Amino acid sequence: MAHLIRHKLSNKLTNAAHTVSNKSQAKVSGVFARLGFQAATDEEGLGFAECDDLDYDYRQGMQMDVLPGEDEGPPAEGEGEMDGDSHYQRDGTGPRPSSLKTGGSLDEDKPKITTWEAGWNVTNAIQGMFVLGLPYAILHGGYLGLFLIIFAAVVCCYTGKILIACLYEENEDGILVRVRDSYVDIANACCAPRFPALGGHVVNVAQIIELVMTCILYVVVSGNLMVNSFPGFPVSQKAWSVVATAALLPCAFLKNLKAVSKFSFLCTLAHFVINVLVIAYCLSRAREWAWEKVKFYIDVKKFPISIGIIVFSYTSQIFLPSLEGNMQRPSEFHCMMDWTHISACVLKGLFALVAYLTWADATKEVITDNLPSTIRAVVNLFLVAKALLSYPLPFFAAVEVLEKSLFQDGGRALFPDCYGPSGQLKSWGLGLRVALVVFTLLMAVFVPHFALLMGLTGSLTGAGLCFLLPSLFHLKLQWRNLLWHHVFFDVAIFVIGGICAISGFIHSVEGLIEAYRYNIHD
Amino acid sequence: MGRLGFSTTESTRLLLLSVFGVLVLSVVLAEQEGENLSGLSTNPDKAIFAVRENGTTCLMVEFAVRFLVPYDVLALNGIDLITEQAPFTLPRGAEIEGKCGSTESEIHITWKNNAYTLRIYFSTEFRDKGTEVWKISKVQFVYDTSETSHFINAYNPGKHTASTHRLSALVTPAGHSYVCAAQQTLTLISSDHQKGVTISMYDIQIQPFDIASDFIFSEPYKCITDQRERLEETLPLILGFILGLIIVITLTIYHFHLKLTAVQPQLPRDRSMYKNM
Repeated sequence: MAHLIRHKLSNKLTNAAHTVSNKSQAKVSGVFARLGFQAATDEEGLGFAECDDLDYDYRQGMQMDVLPGEDEGPPAEGEGEMDGDSHYQRDGTGPRPSSLKTGGSLDEDKPKITTWEAGWNVTNAIQGMFVLGLPYAILHGGYLGLFLIIFAAVVCCYTGKILIACLYEENEDGILVRVRDSYVDIANACCAPRFPALGGHVVNVAQIIELVMTCILYVVVSGNLMVNSFPGFPVSQKAWSVVATAALLPCAFLKNLKAVSKFSFLCTLAHFVINVLVIAYCLSRAREWAWEKVKFYIDVKKFPISIGIIVFSYTSQIFLPSLEGNMQRPSEFHCMMDWTHISACVLKGLFALVAYLTWADATKEVITDNLPSTIRAVVNLFLVAKALLSYPLPFFAAVEVLEKSLFQDGGRALFPDCYGPSGQLKSWGLGLRVALVVFTLLMAVFVPHFALLMGLTGSLTGAGLCFLLPSLFHLKLQWRNLLWHHVFFDVAIFVIGGICAISGFIHSVEGLIEAYRYNIHD
Repeated sequence: MGRLGFSTTESTRLLLLSVFGVLVLSVVLAEQEGENLSGLSTNPDKAIFAVRENGTTCLMVEFAVRFLVPYDVLALNGIDLITEQAPFTLPRGAEIEGKCGSTESEIHITWKNNAYTLRIYFSTEFRDKGTEVWKISKVQFVYDTSETSHFINAYNPGKHTASTHRLSALVTPAGHSYVCAAQQTLTLISSDHQKGVTISMYDIQIQPFDIASDFIFSEPYKCITDQRERLEETLPLILGFILGLIIVITLTIYHFHLKLTAVQPQLPRDRSMYKNM
């Protein structure tokens, strides 16, 4: 009897101790919650991830029997149930690498991309057409421009990594589980207690604007390059843009990232050829290099635009969540990011420096204007090929974002699913994709001063998605795990990103006003 | 033989009378007057000039002209000569004189009290295949560098003449007027040390022969640049139409391809397959 009472007393004491500690923890959490920080880990998210796994396995087990020609083969009549059960048990162990919030489409059937293919995609995104404006940036910025190229690469690599870190949460066993699938999910998780969908909507809109503007820019650039390559033909820039769009129509049939990666690989090859051509030509004039002309001071009026060109050319964060989700070995993601950013930084820096040294003060805004006409013709053709081959990646990403947000089954979104039961694209889904391609053509043809407009939106959405939002989300979601220097980096990146965005916005607005006024007077 | 013929004095007097009569007749018959209709033009730089004969227009010229005249100025050191360029436009309030003919016409435009004169000469010719065309055969420009509104501190000011050598410009089939919105440039060699005077004309509509009715141009003939511009404008529309056709064809093919290869839903034949429904 006595030990019963002792047992009860000890239980009561331990319970009391637990409640006290829980209350104090709750108080601290409450303070943090009021401050807006999510002090507790996203255990809810973890739980959902596991539920989703079970749900997914259950459905996968069912659908494996319905579809003919799957890996497991069509089951015989009597064994149907057993196969389904064995799937259920076999795949139920262990945490899934990708949670399945989209039930309808069979994500597992999409082929995974290798690390190399993810690398080509990232290189497509960060080594874009803006490399042609880098020597002009060095003209006005000198050594500071070179330093910025390296610094921007480091910062963007870091923000890419912290963005992917936001997709993962630690479960009870200490294993990292991928609880979120996309940028939108991260934004929703950050605004979770008060505004569960606001963050997602903001990020959706920013992503769509950024991706569609990139697509339109490629159409504009290819039209412009063709007009400059063939001035004798009576074909205007608008006509060339229509021709380019006709060449880009097959992009509407893209199904998965593997096909896009092939285009990105070809694009990287074309970019490499352009770099080699220009650098080789500059090296052939190495005797005339003007080393003393690289400045230490900066031209305050013209350099801020160059800052925009340098900094916003490393924007690949939009593609990273879906790239990482589709990789066969997600653990190699960090290695891939490092190598792609190092190679981009080295190539860009070398290109900019060598081209500037060759032409010094005569360097034009687009370096191809400085080249002699034969090399310029060849480089122009490769640039057109590069622009057309770069188009599939932002187009596919835009289509994915639109489909996930607007076209889902079961009333989750406004419209029904674009894909049929067997994963095939419905014909009206194809029609919508073609409509998106035609929309990019119409915007390219009818919007004047597109480059300035792109600078305006780029400085808002680009800076937001690449610098401001990753650091903000990282601080909010991983607050408990961060060391002091991570917090310092995140805050510093947020501040620097904000400054770049504001300065880019002001200069773009000035440029647009001046161009508009010049047009009116003309 | 005094009764049969006139005396020499009388014959000379008669000769003089007849010559005088012919002259008067020709003056009465010619009656060509130049008219300045620039007030009708909407473009402030564009001038409209017409030459009328016998109550009807025989030559009409409508254009905006820009001149670029080089002249010498003494440098600051007092020894060297620098060449400066004087840009100016043809003013709307100029005086017109002209002469019309069946194969040759000319128009003389003067302003600033005869300080500047622009003379344009037109002629017709027969090309091979029997087609008749008209063209500008000569352009002459007389300018006075002592005129201070355009020439500042000219060295050795005086009148100079710039003219073309063997010009064949604005070739147009007969019976048509020449229309060109794009810029046409002519270079004239000046008597002032062979300097090159540039005359640029744009928004042109000219007809020197065969004007059917008063102040109305005949059928226009567009210059090559304008024709090309029209081609450039219609080409995107044609290409866009072709693109639309391609899109419609592709979508219909895809739609029917899906319909034909659709998987039929399986009806369960066994109770064990109910769970798949």
